[in-house]
Amino acid sequence: MFCLSLIEHNLPLPPHLLNRPLLDAIKEELERLFLDKVISNLGLCISIYDIRTIEGGFVFPGDGSSTYKVVFRLIMFRPYVGEILCGKLKASDANGLHLSLGFFDDIKVPVHLLPLKSRMGEDGIWIWEHECGDLPMDLDEEVHFRVTKINYPPIPVEQDANANPFSPMEIIGEIYGDGLGLLSWWAD
Amino acid sequence: MKTLQANAGVLTNLEVLEFLRARGATSDPMGCLGAVAPSECKVFDHLVNTGACNQTRGAIDEFLKRCEKFKLAKAEKLNIINLRPSNQALIDPIIEYCEKRLTKDEARGIDEVQELVDLVLEVLPPPPAKPDEEMQALEETPTEKLMEEN
Repeated sequence: MFCLSLIEHNLPLPPHLLNRPLLDAIKEELERLFLDKVISNLGLCISIYDIRTIEGGFVFPGDGSSTYKVVFRLIMFRPYVGEILCGKLKASDANGLHLSLGFFDDIKVPVHLLPLKSRMGEDGIWIWEHECGDLPMDLDEEVHFRVTKINYPPIPVEQDANANPFSPMEIIGEIYGDGLGLLSWWAD
Repeated sequence: MKTLQANAGVLTNLEVLEFLRARGATSDPMGCLGAVAPSECKVFDHLVNTGACNQTRGAIDEFLKRCEKFKLAKAEKLNIINLRPSNQALIDPIIEYCEKRLTKDEARGIDEVQELVDLVLEVLPPPPAKPDEEMQALEETPTEKLMEEN
């Protein structure tokens, strides 16, 4: 689920932080810039793991802040394709299921990646028609899913007023297969 | 911003949990306000409810040593450590081509999938019990093993 990424960044340090110890000030600036943000193709930044090198400290003409070249490692949330994760079922509609990991909510399981004989009930809950009986996919259940794709859609230039808020990172999951789907189906 | 190395190493859930704990994150939402950001708190809350909460590095090292004979890929071992599947059905989607790689011969009494499941149950501690669910066999052996290691 988590991996480290080595990043180099030219960081301007605003003047109001210049009285703080350098390492703390740089860490705070980096956290302000990167924490809880999605970097395209790298994933969601969870935390600053460590700072490897700090160079520079030059003040450019006309600028009040000093610029440092910092090399550091970030803990990124980036599951690999094929990884099995466990999420909670947050919402269910005609397009499929929406799962959540607590800190990450944009996980979709589209209709064609649900188990083979699934149909939608009247209340919007999907039901798997198994030979042992109907198994509903109730909300707030733990679901095991396999990651099939991670999308990083580009930032839209215009958006409708009532469209869903833009999600910079989307995980498409599948629950088609043995051992996938609601945990209660397979737990002994 | 320049990415020098997109993948500088993978982390198990336990390592992320230990890192956040060392920074000062706790389960109490008000307690960790100064030390960790709210987003890090959410990650901590999620990880504390998984199997990583009770794991130790010793248990993970032992699991890695003892699962050598199954010849699993690194990604598969990582997935098993993070997910802690407790039966054959749950392990099946983790391992690619499970039927071909792990032999299951009832005539000769070999069931490698079950051996792997037993290894997981024995070495890796179970996730914390949810208060409103009836989860069977949660108070069993793995916690004793943990006490021995400590």
